[in-house]
Amino acid sequence: MTGRPAAAWGRGVARRLLAALAVLWAAASASYVALLLAPGDTIDILVGDGPDTPEIRARIVAEWGLDRPEVVQYVAYLWRLLHGDLGRSYQLQLGVGEVLSSQVGPTLQLTLAAAGAGVSLAGVIAVVTAGRGRWLRGAASAAELVSVSVPPFLIGLVLLAVFSFTLGWFPVSGASGPQALVLPALALGLPIAGVLGQVLRGGLERALEQPFAVTARARGLSEPRLVARHALRHALIPAVTLAGWFTGTLLGGAVITEVLFGRPGLGQVAMQAVTGRDMPVVMAVVLLSAIVYVTISTLLDLAYRAIDPRIGGRP
Amino acid sequence: MRVKRPKGIAPFVLVVSLTACGSQQPAQQAQDSSLTWAIETQPLTLNPQQWGQNKVRLLVFNQFDALLSRQKDGTFQPWLAKSWKVSDDGLTYTLELRDDVTFHDGTKFDAAAVKANLEQFLVPGYNPGIASIQLKSFARAEVKSPATVEITLKEPDALFLDFLASPLAGQVSPKSLKAAKDLKSGGPDLVGTGPFILESYVRGQEIRYRRNPDYKWPPAGAGHQGPAYLSRITYRFLPEAAVRVGALTSGQVQVIEGVPATEAAMIKQDPGLTYQTSLNSGTSFSYYFNTAHAPFDDQRVREAFREAVDVDAVLKAVYQGTATRAWSVVTKGGPFYDASLEGSFGGDTAKANALLDAAGWKQRDAQGYRVKDGRRLTVRSVASAPFVRDRRDILAQAIQAQVKQSAGIDFQVKIVDQGTAQKAYTEGEYEIFENSRGDADAGAALNLILPGKGPINRTGFSDPDVEKWLAAAAGSASLDERKELYAKVQRAVVKDKAIVFPVYVPADQIAAQKSVQGLGFEAGSGTPRSAYDVRIGT
Repeated sequence: MTGRPAAAWGRGVARRLLAALAVLWAAASASYVALLLAPGDTIDILVGDGPDTPEIRARIVAEWGLDRPEVVQYVAYLWRLLHGDLGRSYQLQLGVGEVLSSQVGPTLQLTLAAAGAGVSLAGVIAVVTAGRGRWLRGAASAAELVSVSVPPFLIGLVLLAVFSFTLGWFPVSGASGPQALVLPALALGLPIAGVLGQVLRGGLERALEQPFAVTARARGLSEPRLVARHALRHALIPAVTLAGWFTGTLLGGAVITEVLFGRPGLGQVAMQAVTGRDMPVVMAVVLLSAIVYVTISTLLDLAYRAIDPRIGGRP
Repeated sequence: MRVKRPKGIAPFVLVVSLTACGSQQPAQQAQDSSLTWAIETQPLTLNPQQWGQNKVRLLVFNQFDALLSRQKDGTFQPWLAKSWKVSDDGLTYTLELRDDVTFHDGTKFDAAAVKANLEQFLVPGYNPGIASIQLKSFARAEVKSPATVEITLKEPDALFLDFLASPLAGQVSPKSLKAAKDLKSGGPDLVGTGPFILESYVRGQEIRYRRNPDYKWPPAGAGHQGPAYLSRITYRFLPEAAVRVGALTSGQVQVIEGVPATEAAMIKQDPGLTYQTSLNSGTSFSYYFNTAHAPFDDQRVREAFREAVDVDAVLKAVYQGTATRAWSVVTKGGPFYDASLEGSFGGDTAKANALLDAAGWKQRDAQGYRVKDGRRLTVRSVASAPFVRDRRDILAQAIQAQVKQSAGIDFQVKIVDQGTAQKAYTEGEYEIFENSRGDADAGAALNLILPGKGPINRTGFSDPDVEKWLAAAAGSASLDERKELYAKVQRAVVKDKAIVFPVYVPADQIAAQKSVQGLGFEAGSGTPRSAYDVRIGT
């Protein structure tokens, strides 16, 4: 490696890091402003459906520092963020950092397992069915369509009814062991497998019609080896791009899946916070998802270069 | 209402004590039994003094004991306080405490602990809501002797005893009040004197308790004495009703609470399961009419709305016969219910139409809705999503269809986030406010909703007589006198002024495997009671 590409690479990384910071700042500010503009007064929300007297209101204002101008509250919020202080949950009366840190683990487990299940299912189905007979393709296509179009809630309920309530293979709730992870990961992973499978098979089939595939066949390469060694790499680019999309699916789907299966996790916390308008928690969850997106897109960028070295030429 | 007492409990105790004869161990400790119970609602906090969710009473009273316990007829019974005396002027409460009670951290429960617990509410920011409503009349507490505490009020307050019997009076070890890491959210380091010791809490998943082996101070009326039968109990949070039922029928949990109407019949038919239900105390689920502007500033329109709905038919359609119709703002589940209101309104379409004609809503528009001076007869209900339960959204849709068909009323239902709802309430952008409250003493709810300046008065209704009666009832120590006063209040707002449209009485349900015994409901509140009496029978 010569000096110049390395320097260019370093600049590229620095630029990406700056961009990531900007994205995070924008996410923090946008969620702050959105919550500020949303109807209803913070004090009203804190009072909720309970007793409401001027005395109670005064105490709440003092407790949460709501009497300061919004700009001051905003700057103070950013300042605290910079120091790693996410504030205190209105509803749970706990530090937000504490709430999230106890819930990140289970969600991470669930989303990784779901992504793993989704990606491997999609890969296997695509490789097995690409360019094969019509009925096999048709069946796979239909299954994919169903898994994409049926709401995750319903998929989860059906999986529970069959594999937990009737067959008794898996427990319904908890994050106690690997067994309890299977059904939620499947419920969350099936839609991903559906979309990814379709894209991957399409890509494979296009790649198999390319001149290089004809050449390889002429060299006597067997069809499975051709798919695995050559075509897959071409089909991966659109599939990897989709990974960004499924990160979103995972975060959104985790809310439903966690509630349905009675699992701990960010999804449950986020939902409770949004319905209860627990601003500090909502904003922390927004920030966290922004961090996840930024990280994933950076990793994807690196993955592109690994899959197709031609992309690496650009800084 | 029947509250099932476990049958056959006496022979069981006898057998157990016989088998335990040879050992020094208390009978219940000999057997090791645990249970998993799926519940719908997660606690926002585990500190009893921050409690606000009726559905988590069953958790609070596992870990903490209150000073008194409330009975179904509205009277009070001893708990951690053996007896109490109220001075003639209603200002001084002298409580004689049990002297054999210890907290889970080993410290002794005494008069100083009661004083520390009461005074904790005076710490700024600890719980402003309680300090200024339930405890507004509290002046001071004095330790007269280790087992005697004297509480002085600024003014007579009939609801003070109810406070002493509520989760808010759950006694917390003063040592842990000082040392708990997160005082307001509670946790294993905030300890009480209850029959179970909190072991762990995983938000979103479960909460675990183990038996307190030293427990021997259950409230009067408990099914047994001594430590709890179960050595361990785990509550799993399963917010989805279908999942709770599936977990029960497949044997993954032994007990569930919150059984939807659609599943109740199936559970009742299952010979391996038991099902019980209890009406809640407090206020009925009611539509409160906003009388501050048209059209409900006209009493004829308010009455017409009630007449336009065939409540029985609606409840049957939505709850499949499992809901109990309400006739008053106060529920049948509590002691203050005025039964004379039964049958006094509702379901008379002809009367509804006549009333609307008389009120000037004579014309109809192209869609069949009534109009007056070019304006459609539209009423809006705005509900905050976190408070919508029991399929109240579906109920509203059924009522919507009925009032349209029978009387040409355009009833619009909006379910929004809490902030949007509060904005609509503040700005008066609604005609119907829906609410029910689970307070064990309905007086607490009526004081919030009915006085002109009541904190959640969303009707714009104020009436000097009603306020006089409410104030007199709050200051009276006589249950009979309070009943009479609250009956007057109910008649005024339901019959004479048609301010409320009572719809149904909220209820709780418990379903369980047949082997689980001793399940039931708290006499005072009608909500599922703690696991103290629960055991696995044979």
